[in-house]
Amino acid sequence: MLNSWKLKEIVLMSLFAVVFGIVYLLFVHVGNIWAGFIGPIAYEWIFGIWFIVSIICMYIIRKPGAAVVSETIAAAIEVLLGNAVGPRLILSGLIQGLGAEAVFAATRYKRFDLWVLMLAGVGSSVFSFVYGYFLGGFAVYSPGYVALMLGIRILSGAMIAGLGGKALSDGLLATGSLRGYAISRSKKGEVRA
Amino acid sequence: MHDVIQFERVTFSYPDEENPVLQELSFSISQGERVVITGPSGCGKTTLLYLCNRLYPENCDGILSGTVKLFGKDSLYFIPGEINHRIATVFQDPDSQFCMQTVEQELAFTLENLHVNREEMDKRISEVLALTDLCEFRHAVIQSLSGGQKQRIATACALIMEPEILLLDEPIAHLDPYTAKKYIEWLDDLQHKRSITIVAIEHRLDLWGNFFERSIPLHKTEVAAPLEKRNSSKIEEISLAVNKVRDKSFLKDISFQLSRGEITVLAGPNGSGKSTLMKTLCQLIPSSGTVQPDFLGYVPQSPEFLFLTKNVRDEIGYGGGSNIDEMLSRLKLENIADAHPFAISHGQKRRVAIAAMLSDGREVILMDEPTSGQDAVALSELFQLINERAREGTTFLIVTHDMEFAYCIADTVLLMDGGSLTGKFPAKDVWSDERLLQNHHLLPPKGLMRHEACFA
Amino acid sequence: MKHALHKMNPSVKFLLITICMFTMAFFFDPWTPFVFWIGILVLQLLFSRIDWKKWLLFMLPFFVTAFGYFWTTLVFAEDQSGPVIWSIWNVHVTETQLNHALSLSFRVLAFSSLSLLFALTTNPTTFIMSLMQQLKLSPKIAYGVMVGYQFLPVLKDEFMHIGQAQRLRGITQEKNAFQRLLGTRRVLIPMLAGAVRKAERAAFSMEARGFTGERRSSYFQVIKVGKIDTALAVVFLLVLVLSCTNRLWLDF
Repeated sequence: MLNSWKLKEIVLMSLFAVVFGIVYLLFVHVGNIWAGFIGPIAYEWIFGIWFIVSIICMYIIRKPGAAVVSETIAAAIEVLLGNAVGPRLILSGLIQGLGAEAVFAATRYKRFDLWVLMLAGVGSSVFSFVYGYFLGGFAVYSPGYVALMLGIRILSGAMIAGLGGKALSDGLLATGSLRGYAISRSKKGEVRA
Repeated sequence: MHDVIQFERVTFSYPDEENPVLQELSFSISQGERVVITGPSGCGKTTLLYLCNRLYPENCDGILSGTVKLFGKDSLYFIPGEINHRIATVFQDPDSQFCMQTVEQELAFTLENLHVNREEMDKRISEVLALTDLCEFRHAVIQSLSGGQKQRIATACALIMEPEILLLDEPIAHLDPYTAKKYIEWLDDLQHKRSITIVAIEHRLDLWGNFFERSIPLHKTEVAAPLEKRNSSKIEEISLAVNKVRDKSFLKDISFQLSRGEITVLAGPNGSGKSTLMKTLCQLIPSSGTVQPDFLGYVPQSPEFLFLTKNVRDEIGYGGGSNIDEMLSRLKLENIADAHPFAISHGQKRRVAIAAMLSDGREVILMDEPTSGQDAVALSELFQLINERAREGTTFLIVTHDMEFAYCIADTVLLMDGGSLTGKFPAKDVWSDERLLQNHHLLPPKGLMRHEACFA
Repeated sequence: MKHALHKMNPSVKFLLITICMFTMAFFFDPWTPFVFWIGILVLQLLFSRIDWKKWLLFMLPFFVTAFGYFWTTLVFAEDQSGPVIWSIWNVHVTETQLNHALSLSFRVLAFSSLSLLFALTTNPTTFIMSLMQQLKLSPKIAYGVMVGYQFLPVLKDEFMHIGQAQRLRGITQEKNAFQRLLGTRRVLIPMLAGAVRKAERAAFSMEARGFTGERRSSYFQVIKVGKIDTALAVVFLLVLVLSCTNRLWLDF
């Protein structure tokens, strides 16, 4: 899989991860303070920021594996930047990335419209929730509370990661800086399998 | 001497462009030569260089016809990575050439790529550091070094491969003239020690002296007219009054005044506080002291940092200005009014930034390093842009290292050192005061020296 | 002794920590995570030179989080069986609920301490090098990540410069967190556009220096697995086993 990847595509994922890492650091503090008052649900609404890298990278690069590799790289970068959540992030990155990847794989990497991107955000939400359910011990909560958490996370995944990711990528495409990436070629109607 | 690089009727085009960047290009370079490839931005210099080190065509899906022969063999028959240790490259941007943290790790990365034995690595690292006079930096963190130091490290990383050819991609574009001059002297010395072939691309040769033996010009666009010294458009009316400005830690009580229509150059060594002063004047950094007026225009080195909208017209009107059409025509932006502000040329971006500032009603404009990395055409365009606005009554304060440009455009010069202002001088007094220039790491402009030579 | 955790092989440390966390996830009594947490702190005290002041600073938000878990579990717990031991107004807290709440809070503290232990004793570069040498991570990805890490200071500066430039155009910082999130998109577009450019330059300069992404035949900085790793692995697993079997030796 990695042989078909150009180095510049991998470095691109890595730099995007750093950019969102900086953004995330701005928001994680907000989450932590809220968490004290309203519990683990505080993180749910911004969870989509975690998934946005995988969706943007897949939307731009359009190669199998783009979602899962970029999300894992993003998590590794986050660990290097000194995120105190530490090594377990790498695993959660992998799992989140798989969630989005599954959706893109289901379309055989042929569709990249808004619905698919939002669905990929939902995929990440669901996968990461299952993982969080296990590690965070959500089993002790009442089903209603768990459902609410899942609902907010799905919404965040679809809106922030799916819709937001598409908006950002399209904004970036308009600047003309993505020449030489699959997203620019597809806009000209040249379909590449 | 045999040829190491041969281009035979090479034509190259990018996948999404109609016209080829290089057309029917033929030339050859022999072993041991020092050659420079010249031409303005966009003439295909970089493309040519990337064809020599085999980054292209693979990395851009470009279409190549004709043959590029390296060491007498068609370049397409080299496997990826095979050619790179024989033809090494130093790139122009000092910030984005490294992937490891320290100098030693970076050099080791290069050796690992070449599958050098571990036992040999340490020896080769020590050797190259001794050769390049960089031993003291062995354990330094690369991102904490200055631009000039980074370019030397990048050169050491190229030389550790023991290449036969060294390609230089505008290596001094981002350095100030003083540092650039030092880099060139250092490089000259190195070439004498190890007689490798040097091929550089460069658009401004004045700093290189007679370093190169031969030049290959690639020109397509018109040649820029040389800059002429402008006549002052200064009016005796105070336009900017700065009184005892200081920030928390670095700037020390800075006071000066600028007149309407005056063009002032702000110069000084790297790290003397020029950019900090500009940001302080625009109230982007908390400070004490007074600045009159308090609504100043500012154009950063990357003008796109200012842009917030999706087309040039909206960008100019963003601050609520009314005569947008007039502004578009005054700054010759009508035909790109609907373009995305990120997708236009660097010169046009700067034009849009200035238009937006003027349309906000900011009559004093501060510009941070507008000359850095610009070719002759771009410089002459910049000169005109500033000159015309100054004649309309705009006041300019410009940070630049380019003394040639400063000589032509400046009425007055503000010199800074170590966070304080040395003083405000009439431009002509500065150019002839060698001690003052040297103390501020500046080189005298050649334009003046030619001028003086005529009268001598 | 005091250097042991700092000298430990990062991949081994990484795997051990992962094993510990997954094992802990199966326990819902308060004692197991509590004993484990204490065990981790003792490990840290004995085998590392972590600055406790710094540690406390990093831990502070997690104490807050743990508290959040505590009270939400009390209120939203599923299993409300067992004797009521506590009543405030209409909320009746049963023993099971309290146990679950304490368990989850200690779990948060244990996980956070474990993560901090890793973060504060591991050099990022060594970690990546070790992932490549011990866990066979692809060099393309490993060095891709390293480049990103190198760019952090450059991109951080750029983030600040863009923010400043846009403030000059009249953009003010939003107070509300949600609006701030929306507002970051303006900074993100120029940031990402710059990142695309930098990524290409960095990748090109790596390739120009002979990097092809294939496996390396020898490393300059060899990261080994040694006796210290075996010893510490035994200690970690001992702490894990002791905390999982606390019922056998803890008697209340």
